[in-house]
Amino acid sequence: MPAAVPFDPQAVAAAKPVERTPREGVTTHRVVCSTCDIACSVVTEVKKGRVVRVRSSDNPIFRDNICMKGIIAPKAFANPDRILHPLKRVGARGSGEWQRVSWDEAMADIGQRLRSIISEYGPEAWAVSTSQWNTCTDHGLGRRVMNHVGSPNWISGVALCAGNTAAINRMTYGWFPMGDFNNTKCIVLIGHNPRRHSWTPIFNFIRSAQARGAKLIVLDPRRSSNAEVADIWLPLKAGSDAAMLLGWLKVIIDEKLYDQDFVTRWTTGFDELCARVNEYPLERVAELTGCDPEMIAKAARLYATGGPAIIPWTPITDMQRNSTSGIRLQSILRAICGYLDVPGGETLQGFNPDIVPESTIEMHEVLSDEQKAKQLGSDSHPAFTYRGQQAFTEPMKRVWGHEYPNQITGCYMANPSATFRAMAGEGPYPVKAFFSLGNNTVLSYANMPLIIKAMMNQDLIVVHEHFMTPTAQLADYVLPGDSWLERPWLTDGFGWMSSYRASEKSMDPPGEAASTFDFWKKLAGAIDRPEIVPWTDLESFYDDRLRGTGMSFTEFNRSTEMYFAKPEFRKYLDTGFATPSGKVELKSSVLESLGFDPLPYFREDPPLDPDYPLQLFTGVREDGYFQTAQRQVPEMRQRSPEPVMFVSPGTAQAYKLIEDEWVAVENQVGKISVKVGVRDAMPDGLVRIPHGWWKPEMKQGAGHLSGALEYSDAQLCRDDEDYLDREQGIPHLKGVPCRIVKLAGQPGGVPGSDRELAV
Amino acid sequence: MTANERDLRRRERSAKMTLWLADHASRNRSLFDRLCRKLLARATRKQAGQDFMRDPLIDNDTGFDPDELERYQRGE
Repeated sequence: MPAAVPFDPQAVAAAKPVERTPREGVTTHRVVCSTCDIACSVVTEVKKGRVVRVRSSDNPIFRDNICMKGIIAPKAFANPDRILHPLKRVGARGSGEWQRVSWDEAMADIGQRLRSIISEYGPEAWAVSTSQWNTCTDHGLGRRVMNHVGSPNWISGVALCAGNTAAINRMTYGWFPMGDFNNTKCIVLIGHNPRRHSWTPIFNFIRSAQARGAKLIVLDPRRSSNAEVADIWLPLKAGSDAAMLLGWLKVIIDEKLYDQDFVTRWTTGFDELCARVNEYPLERVAELTGCDPEMIAKAARLYATGGPAIIPWTPITDMQRNSTSGIRLQSILRAICGYLDVPGGETLQGFNPDIVPESTIEMHEVLSDEQKAKQLGSDSHPAFTYRGQQAFTEPMKRVWGHEYPNQITGCYMANPSATFRAMAGEGPYPVKAFFSLGNNTVLSYANMPLIIKAMMNQDLIVVHEHFMTPTAQLADYVLPGDSWLERPWLTDGFGWMSSYRASEKSMDPPGEAASTFDFWKKLAGAIDRPEIVPWTDLESFYDDRLRGTGMSFTEFNRSTEMYFAKPEFRKYLDTGFATPSGKVELKSSVLESLGFDPLPYFREDPPLDPDYPLQLFTGVREDGYFQTAQRQVPEMRQRSPEPVMFVSPGTAQAYKLIEDEWVAVENQVGKISVKVGVRDAMPDGLVRIPHGWWKPEMKQGAGHLSGALEYSDAQLCRDDEDYLDREQGIPHLKGVPCRIVKLAGQPGGVPGSDRELAV
Repeated sequence: MTANERDLRRRERSAKMTLWLADHASRNRSLFDRLCRKLLARATRKQAGQDFMRDPLIDNDTGFDPDELERYQRGE
């Protein structure tokens, strides 16, 4: 995790209040920022047809929810390197030789080639990777087209970040809850560290709750900025979340601090859970986590008795060898302590009854069982695949009114590693066409060498993007995507919430940049299936989805900044839970039926390899960057010009590391170059690796990939079985063995050697 | 009804009332909506000096000049 945002009292005192009076010649629009995945409600100011400023919303419920990435957006999207026209590859794959073509030419060829691949290999030979918080206007249309065509092989970064959390939460109580920050009395942060400029609304929520008197418990190996202001900080070993939560359960059950009435009436498998928890006495948990047993017990007691409490979603538990057990343990704690669907606890919101959800748009029901069974990875790691979620079809219909509610787009996915292996010719059948939309695939999953091999083995790669990313550099077609300043949007947090927000289009897209909606509509036409996407444009699509509100999209947008569903709590009293038993399944019947341990457990690290004595974790972002983006934005790059690893002063001393020197970090699967950052907040022996690094100014094309081969953390992320969660097959990114090797000087491909970054 | 149940129902009513207020504040059309917005703004206002959301980078941002952005996009 990067250092905390500097909090300088003098600078804060000198900060000017925001001027809200309209400026001359400026029109304003209410917009939802999509620079990152948090979706802040903001206001854009437009002059001469351009967005010239982004500021926070005037609505007090969204006040101050804006960060440095949001305010720089007008310039970030005006970058001279932005792709403005469709490009067709004319040389060898990755040669960097492109020809400008029209959208019509591109889509006609793409459609013809996709049909040819499907005809030769079957529809499952087409895979798509996307990140819908980037593409936004996908709205499930990609799944809809794939379902009609017959391909189940859709993957996304949500496989290891929130999407998998949603799928696993359902194993316990049939939905993915949203914490009620406004009424909670206790917040548990597991590893993640919302800051002023990263996950800004969550930072705002947490600090506001603390100001009201709520307690904060932080589980984090680092002394993060949230750990520094926590009531209890447990500096657990990286990757030991599940062991820690088993310890919490041991305390809570032994001391009978749980909601006994709820457990009796609404859960199954409590006795079996108790037996499993008894395998984890606090002494063992202390050994596994490296934490003081008394502090573990104190934290558990505070969570159980200081509520209502919330454990907000954390991507950290998502990315561990014991991810399924860790997520299940969070779910079990929420349930047995009586925090499910109560104010200040974890709300199960369901869908807004007035608006057609994206899950309906996706039309999973049209994909045949035969094709669903071909979903890659579902044989060995089925948890978030169709197979793993099949048992929820009836319960979801019964409780939430929908057979395939695809929360966070993550409940019916193919496994990414299995998909890349099939693309590389190492799977049960070939995958020969790959579409990547708003998703820098090469850098966004584990085992980057496999991903590159997979891409080099494709007959057709289509990328919809803003910039010539490493992924785009390997494509057959690169199509220009629009930005959140240039399109309308409608969001319910991908089915996480029952409230909706609309976003106005603020300006026209530059060049021929087009929305993901347009892309899917054009593709449906290009494969002679125009009826799949029948809406003429995005606005008419929204009009259709909003019909139940009695408003058009324009009217909806004018009427409110947030469209709430009627709030209800403890809905399970009427409907039960959306699990096969109708109760909270502490012992999961679904995991059991899939052949897995139905109770949470902790799988320890493989034996230590003395050649790799340190442990790394990755997945952490700098404030100025969201995932692999924004490296071409000068203001952001000036803040973080190079990838920097963090180590403790003790580790730096042991390995004779000097601040700012270049080193290589290596493990059994790869090597990257980073600069050294010595940080007091880091524990000894742990190495923080920054996520998503490449340098847009460096040499493009195969063998170079703009520095990705030198800097991308995906090269250190392994996906062999010892480092995969069993049930989901997602990689362990928190505590991977590594070593640090000193470099003589700067790594090859010196920044700026190829061309200068436009300022 | 137990004390716990009574307390829970009270909290549910209170949470629903807050959401109702937020709903009206978000509409901000009628006089009543605006009153709700003012109430919410007052309830959520942070004391000067204790406002953890104040940040010079954000508070002092004045945006961009459209001509400057145009030139930047053209690579000038």
